[in-house]
Formats: sequence, structure tokens, C-alpha cells
Amino acid sequence: MADVTITIDGNKVTAPAGTLLIEVCKSIGTEVPAFCYYPGLSLQAACRMCLVEIEKMPKMQTACTVPISEGMVVHTTTDKVRQARKSTLEFLLGNHPLDCPVCDAGGECELQDMTFSYGAAESKFMEAKLHRDEQQWSPVVFFDRPRCILCYRCVRVCGEAMDVWALGVQNRGSASIIAPNEGDHLECEECGMCIDICPVGALTSGAYRYKTRPWEMKHVGTTCMHCGDGCKTTLGVRRHETGMQIVRGDNRDKSGINGDFLCIKGRYAFDVTHSDERLTQPLVRHEGRLTPATWEAALELVASTFKRIRDEHGGSAIGVIGSNRTTNEENYLLQKFARVVLGSNNIDHHRTADFPALAAALKNTQVRTAGMRDVFNAKTILLIGNNPTDQHPLLAWQIRNNVRLHKARLFVVNAQDIKLHRQATAFAQVPSGSEAFAAAFLAGNDSVGESVGGDARNALLAMRQALKGAEEAVVIFGSEIRGAQVKAAVNLASALNAKIACLGDYANSRGAADMGLYPDLLPGYAQTSSEIFTGHWGALPEQPGWNIEQMVNAARDGQLRALLCVGSNPVVRYNVDPFVLQKTFLVVNEMFMTETASLATVVLPAACAYEKSGTFTNTMGDLQVVKKAGDLAGTKPDFEIVIEIADRMGFDVRKLVSLGGGTRADMGQSRGAQTGEADRHAVWLEAQNLEPRMTPFDPAAVLDEIQRLVPGYGEASRLNVAAGNDEHTTALEAGQGSATSDPDLVVPSEDTLFTSGTLGRYSNTLHSVIESRRKVPADKKTPV
Amino acid sequence: MNAIRAIGGILKGMSVTFREMFRPTIVENYPDGAGPYKGARFEPRFRGLHVLQRDESGLEKCVACFLCAAACPSNCIYIEAAENTAERRISGAERYAEVYNIDYNRCIFCGFCVEACPTDAITHGHGFELATFNASNLVYRKEQLLAPMPKEIQSAVQREELRAHAPEMAH
Amino acid sequence: MADLVSHPDEVKVVSQRFGKGAAAMDRYLELDGYKAVQKALASGPEWIINEMKASNLRGRGGAGFPTGMKWSFVPKESAKPKYVLCNGDESEPGTCKDRLILEHDPHAVIEGVMIAALAVGAKTGFIYIRGEYRYLVDIMRKAIAEAYARGFLGKNIFGSGVDLDVRWHTGAGAYEVGEESALMESLEGKRGIPRIRPPFPAVVGLWGGPTVINNVETLASVPHVILGGGEWYAKLGTPKNGGTRLFCLSGHVQKPGVYELPLGYNLRKMIDDVGGGIWKGHKLKAVVPGGSSVPILKADEIDLAMDFDTLMKAGTFLGSGGVIVLDDHTCIVKFCLRTTKFYQHESCGWCIPCREGTDWMKKTLVRFHAGGGIKRDIDNLNYLAENMLGRTFCPLGDAAAMPVIGMIKKFREEFEAHLEGRPCPFEEHGAAVEQLPVLA
Repeated sequence: MADVTITIDGNKVTAPAGTLLIEVCKSIGTEVPAFCYYPGLSLQAACRMCLVEIEKMPKMQTACTVPISEGMVVHTTTDKVRQARKSTLEFLLGNHPLDCPVCDAGGECELQDMTFSYGAAESKFMEAKLHRDEQQWSPVVFFDRPRCILCYRCVRVCGEAMDVWALGVQNRGSASIIAPNEGDHLECEECGMCIDICPVGALTSGAYRYKTRPWEMKHVGTTCMHCGDGCKTTLGVRRHETGMQIVRGDNRDKSGINGDFLCIKGRYAFDVTHSDERLTQPLVRHEGRLTPATWEAALELVASTFKRIRDEHGGSAIGVIGSNRTTNEENYLLQKFARVVLGSNNIDHHRTADFPALAAALKNTQVRTAGMRDVFNAKTILLIGNNPTDQHPLLAWQIRNNVRLHKARLFVVNAQDIKLHRQATAFAQVPSGSEAFAAAFLAGNDSVGESVGGDARNALLAMRQALKGAEEAVVIFGSEIRGAQVKAAVNLASALNAKIACLGDYANSRGAADMGLYPDLLPGYAQTSSEIFTGHWGALPEQPGWNIEQMVNAARDGQLRALLCVGSNPVVRYNVDPFVLQKTFLVVNEMFMTETASLATVVLPAACAYEKSGTFTNTMGDLQVVKKAGDLAGTKPDFEIVIEIADRMGFDVRKLVSLGGGTRADMGQSRGAQTGEADRHAVWLEAQNLEPRMTPFDPAAVLDEIQRLVPGYGEASRLNVAAGNDEHTTALEAGQGSATSDPDLVVPSEDTLFTSGTLGRYSNTLHSVIESRRKVPADKKTPV
Repeated sequence: MNAIRAIGGILKGMSVTFREMFRPTIVENYPDGAGPYKGARFEPRFRGLHVLQRDESGLEKCVACFLCAAACPSNCIYIEAAENTAERRISGAERYAEVYNIDYNRCIFCGFCVEACPTDAITHGHGFELATFNASNLVYRKEQLLAPMPKEIQSAVQREELRAHAPEMAH
Repeated sequence: MADLVSHPDEVKVVSQRFGKGAAAMDRYLELDGYKAVQKALASGPEWIINEMKASNLRGRGGAGFPTGMKWSFVPKESAKPKYVLCNGDESEPGTCKDRLILEHDPHAVIEGVMIAALAVGAKTGFIYIRGEYRYLVDIMRKAIAEAYARGFLGKNIFGSGVDLDVRWHTGAGAYEVGEESALMESLEGKRGIPRIRPPFPAVVGLWGGPTVINNVETLASVPHVILGGGEWYAKLGTPKNGGTRLFCLSGHVQKPGVYELPLGYNLRKMIDDVGGGIWKGHKLKAVVPGGSSVPILKADEIDLAMDFDTLMKAGTFLGSGGVIVLDDHTCIVKFCLRTTKFYQHESCGWCIPCREGTDWMKKTLVRFHAGGGIKRDIDNLNYLAENMLGRTFCPLGDAAAMPVIGMIKKFREEFEAHLEGRPCPFEEHGAAVEQLPVLA
């Protein structure tokens, strides 16, 4: 819309007509306080805090509902306005309990801040305040009713933004109260958005409740370690006897790709980091039992055994299984370690989507990959397969809010009637397994129409018509489409001139694929003979190695003599017969005693993603920083473990972590001095006579190499990533685009909102939510 | 005459002595006096070792609001909060300090913590003999800082506990 | 059902069919029923709106907005269906006129809705009746059914080719829903909470469509305006205040009841002559001239013409036409408490000043009247009310604040007499307020 000029407190401001006055005021730094106004949610004008004087208007107006128009003259600092703010606070404080000392919000409470700004500390009334007892609505949501100021933010965020509609208002007048959908408890997605958005301490989190005070925490902005969406999350950490403990997860500054959003896992499932079951000591199998050992002994055993097997039987007798939750740097290092140090291409990981197939399909096309931000701004979204509400909560949020705020059109093709159907312009339910045919049909291939059945065919036909001429479209597909079928999705995206995205399940599934955790692919989907890498690393084993299945078979035949399993649980994921691995020297880097770890010869306690530094690539290819927040004494990051094994095998680690050249690394990232521990960095540095600015334990040095060698990563701005922003990477389309065989090895995690693979099993919060669900009889469940 | 003058002189001199004998002593009998401070006496506002107070029903006044720790210029107060439950009620409000440590290596006895306390839970007592041969002894825990439970409440609490356990004992 | 009253000064226009059995269709037709709508059908929307403008008919709900102008705001073309709403959620204490209209002349309301629908091009009308008026719902339901049976409503009304539906709906007993946008929310099946304006109902109203919403009395006057002509109607009242008005005279008068008087009728005359003077030989103390929400007038201030502008100049409002008369045995503090209790009970809780302000005013007044007041309370009450006035989301906050401000301003000495634990000076008569024969 055209720009108009208005006057605010004597300052001329130009902004597009129709912009809300409160936003214009904010843009020039004029404070207009408000409780009920929240950007992106419907307007309320209920709190009356934002009243301002506008000339030629008889009454004061709420700045949150007035769109600006030419020549408007606004006053925000007059006595009348100040008095209005003050009196509103007086009204609120009339019934608000004065329990700030024990309130979780104390110190970051909007009501507290405004009372400081506008006074109103005087008590005018003699009567008792209204009091109601606190309620527990769910394992993670508590409601302290008298603290509520009825701004309805929670009601709106739950309804409008989350599309859950679990909160509402009961009663009227001063008896009005926010109430959950199931009478005395909540039946919802437990995302905690209501708690996050509450301006006071009325809604409090079960995980953080009464633990500490806001100013006691240090806040570390990092990336969530659960699903593949890569939400930015701020972890509040506090010193604790075992190191730094994470006490809160939220997205405090509303920055990053997720803005306000975090789901239950991002907000509460950090508790796995201080689970009682965390391993904090290396374990070595001694006389059939896993017994505690020192790091030195364990590492020495691993290194010497690997060295012996390599020298005696060749690198192909050793296998490596990587992780979906380790950083890009660790993944890169791990496969480099396997190929360069062990001389083996036997490296694989738990695949949750067929990224190499997409890379191959994108070759020689104009189709580009979409980032998470594109989903929020696209005009048309086509979702084939997957259920983002459960498996990709942020993606679902982006889609929902794009539809709600930007009127985007959503088209859904799915075997199930998923919840996003509610936002969809059109929905086609196709038989399970025919998602790729549906994609082909939508792209104009009539011959596959029969494969999807009659009803679906008609729905798809209508959808095909509606999609014609779609602009700024994004095609998103789940792991249902894999192997050669991915070509159908790419063709469709090409026909629609759309961007494309493929959905993998874990925090760094995409990173694991991009970094080449495949027996037949190097980083950037390059073939094993790629000169990019041989040129830098020297000779590499040329024959493709074994994938997980083949490794298991080789172990059964006694050909696989050693296996390094980093943060992965193949015994459960691929239903491996535990006896198969008996003869293999199995080394497991794990946080917990998983099924795989319990079979190991050596178990090395690993630090989790919240306890180390590096980067994650989310499933859409957005590169984000991972920063060290918590700390658990006794564990080491996988990065350090791999380096130490290589060092003890007699390998010159300077060839593994290229020191010097390129960007200078940040010092002290992997082991911060903040923990108060001895800085192993410095000790190692001293011993090896290394230049002080770069150490082999420095993931940033590896990121440096990744940026130089992996196509699609080089363009990412290190500055931007380090600052906590996201950078879209394009390894899929910019890389060499080789496919891998065996699409059947793709095993989706089938996670729900309340599970997170093996990791989720160790979260008390997720458990308590699942448990609380079980108490509700199935017939009483409200349909989604 | 001289003798009389001399005796008079002695009497005059001794009169001060005798007069002082019946006056209250100013010199304190520290460390051989009675009481917890061994005879040492203090002005009421003397800022000594902290005392964590209890309310009239014997519950701790501290609600673990962390304001003392925030106000502390030498960062010597460490608190961990926990929630009161119906079965185990420690303080009057929703939560209490599970851990409350003051590091007297660092404390400068400025009294800011006392100023900051919204519930008058932390006060300066008159304890002053803090010297030690081992610096780690100077980290005082909550148990060392808490005011003792008033006797009548203590016995009442014990009675209550006895009554609560009585049925179990009967079995 | 209330007995009807009458007085020679009355000019019976809206109330002309009261007591004549016009709720029955045949009788209504005998009394010129459904002629206006046929005339309107024949003359077209522009003519209707011009007549309405000429009549100077101002909304009878309380705000007094000119009806013709309101109708002319509705856009001619609209993608969404247009609606006409009849606001029969009459809840203002002291007001009871719509009840009589709905009881005695329901077809006039239906006809008014139809004419309004024709004027703005709506195809559907809703008559929303207050939840407590259960028995009126039966009357209205029957009347609508009869109109459908005769072909006056439904497809092709009066053979004109125009389709028109009128439906009834009942509230659940919330004063707040008398506010037009809250009424729409309620009609849509949501919590009765007002909407943000702009957009105004004439542009975005019920289910997003352009909507005309008028009071029962306004719509019941419409057929008479159409039949008699706008100019005739305008001459009945004062300039700018066209027509007659149903005044609900209640309180301590000899003959309380609903009287149809021309606008501009003298208030003193209304009380002394029409109402038969103060009961039991008492003296007049104060008058609330427009329903409980308007500022009070003292006995010596009532020589006023009862029209919108004169009362505005006198610092009060004509409101909904509920004239509440108080005699000198009434405790103003208790009256204030009673009024505030009502608004506290009816506050919807949406915005802070009204939700909290009414509650604290009530709490303070309860204590104050019981003798527990302190001097600061009077200023506190006034402070609360003044900070509610003009700062709330909807007019309910103003409605709660204005009487309190007025009473404290005009009867401060009576408040002071309650101070320092002294019992209410009127305590032995205190019951009088509770027994007020408020008709609503």
C-alpha cells in the first residue's frame, strides 16, 4: 500500500498505509506498552494498555487496532496517556498476587516491567484479592490462576497459530478464567507455546518450574537436537555439581527460522542431557561384563585393536556407523577417519530419507531446494506424504501460519487424513505407497492415474487444475517417495517451477547425508573416486563399501572384525540379531546404555549435541550453529574421541583436521573454559607444539574444510551462521548428484510429537506426557 | 598532718576505685563470658554471620527467590530451589531453598542480601568467630545458617510425627 | 404480563396497537398490518431510505444514531450476504418498552425488519430476543410462522419476486449482548463479546456480511414512518428528534408504566402529571432519565425537554428511555451499590478496566454502605470510575462508570454521611431500593 506520513510525538514517520499504529511506534523506538497485542495473532484491544491520544478523535484509541492514515497526529507521552497506563496497571494489580519472589516470571515479567515504568505501586483497596488454587493441566503445563491477567495470548496462540484450540475462557466479568479443553486438564500437542507467550507467570512450565530465576541462568542459543526441522532454541544453563545443567529451553529472542515456535521436544526434552542413565565413564568388556575403565585405557584399547585389524586384515574388515544427531563436523570427520585412517568405505548411517536419490534427480534440472523460510513465504505449497504435525512440527507451523497470515494455498496428498488437511485448499487421499504415482499424475502423466484409484484420481485431477499457473510454489515430500521414484517429485516441481524439499527425521539426518556417511558416496554426493577429495586426502579406497545390512551380514560371516558405532542404535533400527555381533570388536560412542551399546566391547560416553559445538543442517538444508550449553563431567564429544583414536593409532591428526589455511577457528569452542574444568585444549596444544590459534579438537577447522570441499556449503556465510542465523546450503543440487543403491534401507523413524528416536526414551518429560495420555480412556479422546 | 593528708590522698584515690567497683563493667569478659558469644556483646545492627529465619509456625521464611544472590556484590550466595509438597512443607510459600550456601571466603558483610530479602528470611546475626585453618570450611550450608526450631514447635512437630507413625507402629 | 397504562398526553404511534390483540395475524391485518411493507416493495429502496432520513427517526436503543443514515451506509453491492438484525436484547435496568412491543405488536417488528431488508437489499433478517423473555419467544415464533403461512415471508413475498427470510433467536441472559457487535458474536454461536470497530457492522457484520442492526422500537416505528410518511413522523417530535418515544417510567411514582410521548416532552411534567407524582406523598430526590447507565439528575435539574440534545447539554443522556424516579427516602449510596452490582455482574470480562473496575467498585461500595467506609473510599470510587470512563472496549464500562461519577458529584454529602462506621442514614428505609418496581 501507499506510504503515508504521520506524526508521533512531534516526529514525522512514513510507513505504508494500514500499518498498525503500535508497529509504527515500535519502529521508531516509541514505547507503547501492550499485553494483549502480539504480532501475528488476531487483534484484541482487551488490555487497554496501548491507549494513545490521536488528534481529532474524542476518546483515546488503542494503538494496536488503529491502522495509520495520512496526517494522523499521535501523542504517546501526555499525562492523560500516562495516567491511562497507570490506572490499567492499578486495575490489574488489584487482583494480581504479590508473589513475585516465588514466581517463575519474576525478572522477565511484562507486568513487573510496566509497573516499574509507570508506577502504580500504591495499594488502594482494603478487600481481599480474588484467590484460586493453582492447577496442573498436564505434565508440562501449570496454571496459577490468580496471576492471569486475561490477555488471551495463550488462547490465540493455541487456537490460531497452533490450530489446537485447547484453551478458552470460562465465566465472565472478574470471574473470567482461562480454562483447558478437558475440564481440569489439557489434551493438546503440549507445545508449551502458551507458557512461552504468557506475559506474566500464570502459565508455568513443569520442567522449569521453581528451578531457578531468569537472571541466574546463562543463555545459549543453539539448534534443537531432536527432529529434522532445526529450530533455534535458547537453553538456559546453570552451574551444577556435575557441570553446567540445562534448566530451560525456549526461543527467548524469537529469532531464527522458527521465530516464536518450539514444540514439546525443543522446549522440554533437553532433560535427556541430565538423565540419571547418562553414561559418564568409559566401559570395557572384561570377562564378559562391561566394567568401568579410564579414558586412556579405553581409547588405547580401541586404537590398538583398530590398528591391528587394519594392518592384519585391511581396512575393509572395519565398519563405521555414523549418527543422525552428531554435528556436520563430526560426521565429516568420521567418514574421513573411516576412509583415510581406517582405509575403509564401510560407512553408513541410519537413513530416514533418500537424499542421494533427490540429489541424483536434481542433476541437470533447474529445480532448486527450498529452505524453511521459503515454506513460510511460498504462495503455493504441495505436501506429498509425511505428517508434519507429528514429525516436523516447525514445518507444520510454517505451513499453517503461511496459510493463515499470507493466504497461501496448501495442497496435500497423503495416505492418511492428516491434520494439515484443515488448512488445505485441496486434499487427496491416495493409497499408501502410491504417493510417487500421485506426484507423477499431478505433473501431467496420465498413464499412472490407475495406480491411485478412482476417487483419488478425481481429487488429483482437480488439484492438477488448481495447481496450474501456481507461483512461488514449494513441493515437499516425505520418505514415502524414495529411490528412482524421487524423479517424479522433481519432475512435478520442475513443471510447477517450484522449489523442492525432502523430509528426513533427525536433527542432522540431512547433514549426515551431505557429509557422505554412505558406503558409496563421499561428502556432497560425490562418487568414491571423486578427485575433489582424493586431491586433498590422498588415495582413498575406491571400491564402495558395505552398507549397514552388508556389514551385519559380514559380521555374521566373521569378515567384519571391528565396528565403530557412533550415536546410533542399529540393533533396534535394523532389527539386527544381537548374536551376529558377538565376534566383532564393537565400539559404541553413546549417551546411554542402548541395545547396541550393551553388546559392545568398549562403550565410550559421548557428549550430546547440547554439550558441544559445531553445525547442523536441517532437513531443508539450512545450516545452523550448535553451541555448547550444558556440560557433563566424564563425557567427551565424538569429535574429540575420533581424533584421539586416530592419534593413538599413530596417524598424524594434522591431516585429519587441516590446521591453518582458510578461516581462523574460534578458540575454545569444543571445551569452553566456562565449565571451570582444566582446559584440555590447552594441554593438548602444548604437548603437540601446535600453533595456538587452531587445535585438532576444533570443529571450526573441519567446517573450514567442509566449506572448501563440499559443494553447496562454501557460499554459506560463516559470520551469519556464527551469529545464530540460518544459511541455506545446496549440496543436493550443487553436488555431484550420485545416487546410492538400496532405497529399502531408508527406515523412517515414525516419531510422534512425544517421541524422539532412541534419545526420546530417556526424556522424563516425554515419558510423563505419554503416561498422562494413557490414563485417558480411548473412547474419551477428542478426535483431531 | 602529713599522715592525714597522705591517708586522705589514698582515700581520695581509692574512692575512684571503690566507686568503679559498684558500677557496671565496661570491659567485656570475652572469651570467658557466658552465652553463645562468650561474653562478647554487639550493637543490634552489627553485621555478623547470617541467620536464616523461621516464621512463627517454624517454617523457613526463605522462598528461594534468589534476590539475595542477585544483590550480592561478591557473588557468594548459591541457592537451589525446590517445590514444597503437601507431604513435605519446608517454607511458607510455594517453594523453598533446597540448597543455600554462603561462601564466607567471599562475603564482605555488606548487608545487601538482607536489604534485598522480600520475606525477611536472611538477617545478620552476631556470629563472628569465623576464622578457620581450612578455607573450604568457610562455605556455610543452610543447616549451619538456619535459626533453630523454637522448642515448643519442635516438640509439637515431634508429637505430630509420632501420631502419624503410631498406626504403623501398631502393626 | 404487565397492565397497560395510558395518559391523555400520549401520542400513540408505536403503541397504537397495544392491547388490541394485534399479535394475531388477522387482527393485525385489520389494523393496517403489512401495508407498509407492500408500499415499500412498490416504492423501492432509495425511496425507503429517503423517507427514513426525512423522518428524523433516531435509534431507540440508546445511542440515538439517525436510522436512515445507518441504512444508507450499507454498500449496495456485496460479495457476502447482507443481514438485518433486530436487537431485542433489552436488558438495561429501567427499560421495558421492547417487551411490550414484542408482546402486543410482534408483526410490526417483523414488518420493520422486512422494510429494512428491502431498503438495504438483505435477504435474511434475525430477531434476537433477550434470554429472559422466554414467553415472548413463543409469541414471536408464532407470528413468524403465520407470516410464512400467508406468504409474507419466504420465497416470492407478496408475489413480488423478492425472497426474504426472517428468523428469531434467543440470547442466554447476558446484558453485554445488547451491544450490537456482541449480539452478532452471540448469534454466530460464540461468546458474547464485542468486536473491534472499525469495520462497522454496516460494512462487516454478521458472518462478515454487511449488517443493519436496529432496536425493536426503531424497527417497530418503521412501518408507521412508511405509511404516514417521513415528514409527518418528523413533525411529531422536535427538530432533529423525530417522532415519539416509549418512555418507561419506573420507580417511586404513583403510576409507573410505559408511555408513548413525543420527544421533547418535559421531564417534570412526565413525573408529576403522567406518572401521577411521587408515591406515598414523598418528595422527589433524583431522576435517572435514560436507563440505569446514565448520569443522575437532582430534583432541581429536571425541567428539561426529553430529547437527545437537551439531555446531552444537561450532562446526561436520553439513553433507552427508562426514567427511574427516586424519592427522598432513597439512599443514594445503596442505589449506587445496586447499580454497580448489576454492572459488575454483567461485565463480560474482556477488557481490564471494566472487568477489574466494576469489581473493585462493587467491593468498595458493599463495605462502604455497610458502614466500613473511610474518607479515601469516596475519592477512590471516583478515581476508579473516571479511569474506566472512555477507556473500555465497549460502552459497558462507561455505563458502569457514569452513574457512579454522577452520584458522587451530586450527592457527595450523602456518601460522607456514611463514613466512619456510621450506619446508613436511610437504613430503616434502605429496603426501598430493593423494592423498586423496576419493570425490566
